[in-house]
Amino acid sequence: MDSGVFFTTYQADMALRRTPLQKLRLALFILFVLVFPFIGNNYGVFLMNQIGIATIGALGLNLLVGYTGQISLGQGAFLAVGAYTAGVLVTKLGVPWYVTLLIAPLFTAFVGAVFGIPSLRLKGLYLAIATLAAQEIIIWIVTHWDSVTGGVHALVVPPPMLFGVPINRDRYFYWLIWGTVGFTALTIANLLRTHYGRAFVAIRDHDIAAEIMGIDIFKYKVLAFALSSFYVGLAGALIAHWRSIVTWERFTIDVSIVYLAMIIIGGLGSISGSLFGAAFMTLLPAVINNVGMAFKDVFPRLEEWIPYLQQALFGLIIILFLIVEPRGLHKFWQDLKNYFKLWPFSY
Amino acid sequence: MRRKVFLLMVLAFAVVLAAGCQRGGEAGGGEGPIKIGAIFDLTGPTSDVGTPYADGIKGYVEWVNSKGGIEGRQIELLSSDYGYKVDVAEQLYSQFVQQGIVAFQGWGTGDTEALRSRIAADQIPFMSASYSHVLGNPKEAPYNFLVGTSYSHQAVIALRWIMDDWKAKGMDGMPKVAILHHDSPFGRSPVNDAIEFGKQNGIEITAIPLPKATDYTAELTQVQDFGAQYIIMHTVSSQAAIVAKNIRDQGLKDKFTVINLNWASDELFIQLAGDAAEGVYMVQPFTPPSSPVPGHEPMKEYLQGKGSSLDEKGLHFAQGWVTMEIMAEAIRKVIKEGKPVTGPNIKAALETFKDFDTQGLTYPITFTPESHWGNKGTHIYVVENGQMKRITQDYILATYP
Repeated sequence: MDSGVFFTTYQADMALRRTPLQKLRLALFILFVLVFPFIGNNYGVFLMNQIGIATIGALGLNLLVGYTGQISLGQGAFLAVGAYTAGVLVTKLGVPWYVTLLIAPLFTAFVGAVFGIPSLRLKGLYLAIATLAAQEIIIWIVTHWDSVTGGVHALVVPPPMLFGVPINRDRYFYWLIWGTVGFTALTIANLLRTHYGRAFVAIRDHDIAAEIMGIDIFKYKVLAFALSSFYVGLAGALIAHWRSIVTWERFTIDVSIVYLAMIIIGGLGSISGSLFGAAFMTLLPAVINNVGMAFKDVFPRLEEWIPYLQQALFGLIIILFLIVEPRGLHKFWQDLKNYFKLWPFSY
Repeated sequence: MRRKVFLLMVLAFAVVLAAGCQRGGEAGGGEGPIKIGAIFDLTGPTSDVGTPYADGIKGYVEWVNSKGGIEGRQIELLSSDYGYKVDVAEQLYSQFVQQGIVAFQGWGTGDTEALRSRIAADQIPFMSASYSHVLGNPKEAPYNFLVGTSYSHQAVIALRWIMDDWKAKGMDGMPKVAILHHDSPFGRSPVNDAIEFGKQNGIEITAIPLPKATDYTAELTQVQDFGAQYIIMHTVSSQAAIVAKNIRDQGLKDKFTVINLNWASDELFIQLAGDAAEGVYMVQPFTPPSSPVPGHEPMKEYLQGKGSSLDEKGLHFAQGWVTMEIMAEAIRKVIKEGKPVTGPNIKAALETFKDFDTQGLTYPITFTPESHWGNKGTHIYVVENGQMKRITQDYILATYP
């Protein structure tokens, strides 16, 4: 029975995973990710891919909103920048697809930094409106710049080839997506341990105090926008290559809001929370649709009400979640861990 | 307590999902029901027209099953609302493919475009109510089939009718035409082809996008400055109705002749625009209930059994019905030829459709391996006393592109 977690070296204190149990859980999760494509069916693998991409995007957004405290409604648009950049590079300029996985995020980072400039003067809701402008402007550009983005014809991206095999099939692309999730989680976790990460958190907690301590607020805010957009762009580029087609209707304002919901439900300022939130918001419609379809078989008379019940259920579950656990799934997970850790002598 | 409720929720969540994942199924080679997937917009931004369309698809399936199915085999329609969300559309598509569907009914531009590459890879024939011209080109979209006239073809049909009307009015030369369109790729879809056709025939055309707004006086001023006598409106009914009301309120009704393309040519437009709709012309590939044809009879019979009527459901019901009917007829061909019901076989069967008669519901449908533009002609209607009245004797054909 632990009475607490104590460290005797700085190294142990700084470790990403500090206790054997933490290491075991991570190992189990990695094992699950590695084994899943061999045991899951196509639909399951497809859902995992959606979750993986949502996780990368949510991690990027969490870096900005959860860690730096800068709210953004431009997530959908930054995904679009990543996806269209990757698509255009491959189709118009013949750049190999794997190279676009670097260039597209970098370009998205640049765009994100530009739209992050107003964050110097704007805070909170005002910044939200400024990023909403980013969303509208970018989507306007991609829907009107026909010669580059394909317009009505959409942007058809040739399947990414690896050793002569098209890897955009769900089971192959799985490895790329989840490899990228690993890369994203690891780099963000490490980033947060550097002085950059600490500066972000300081700005979130109190920007004036942070400035007095010598943090260049403007620099770090723009940097947070750029870094966040980098990962979001990466998610966008993966979408382009996975789905083999880029259309603007995938990146509307609804998407921005769904991503915000992911990190709020998952837990602001938490890496595992981003994963929980992404999984939750991806699986919830699937679950609700399946409940609806099963319900339809049992009560065919209620069929025409089911879509509305589904919508109501969707809203109800999210509201319940926020009431029961306002700090997100991440907090729930911590409570659960503590419960079992202290069981049966919890106080 | 709180924790237990929470745990229960998480558990229930996992169970339902696992059940969803498990519901596998064999592809349609055997003797069981033929599985077809469908997604509908019943709650999203296009649900006003999506709901009767969905009812049409479901109605046809129920009707054909009640008549003994297709050559003795029942259709099992796997369907769900997707609220016009692309991600959800993809989820449902993936799930239905897992459950063994052989063909798919989509709905809007969003899902049709997003799934285009995937259905080609999965070899799932796909129909939807998105009639972008590019979808009819098998080189670009090998598994998409257009049952409705493509937007480009509709615009050309409108222009051909305008030329006839101009001549009939005893005017010389060629009229000027303004295309007022939805400000999106859907709206711009026919613009370039229409301008090109105009050039070939000496018609001067300007295209003006309609942004989201509640008043289009500025756009109408542009039309007047351009000097157009005709307006082609390619947008959705709600927006077209606002434009129609603006035209009425400014006393411009005598100055322009307005002709709407299919998504603004329905009962909804007439209902929303009220008396401003009177005298508006319409290109509509699907025959509305106000112009009864033999093809409407099975729908009427089916709806009567449901305590409803075709007049109540409107032309989008007929549109969904006939779209599903054509898919079902292709499956019938496959079964008659004794082949297994698979995606590639349905595609091959569709590509043998030559002047397939829909009993007056549409222009006869023809698909070939080189052309999936199945429907190249429409009638023109005019709004009279709140009803769509057919004014053309013969179908007007799209001669370009």
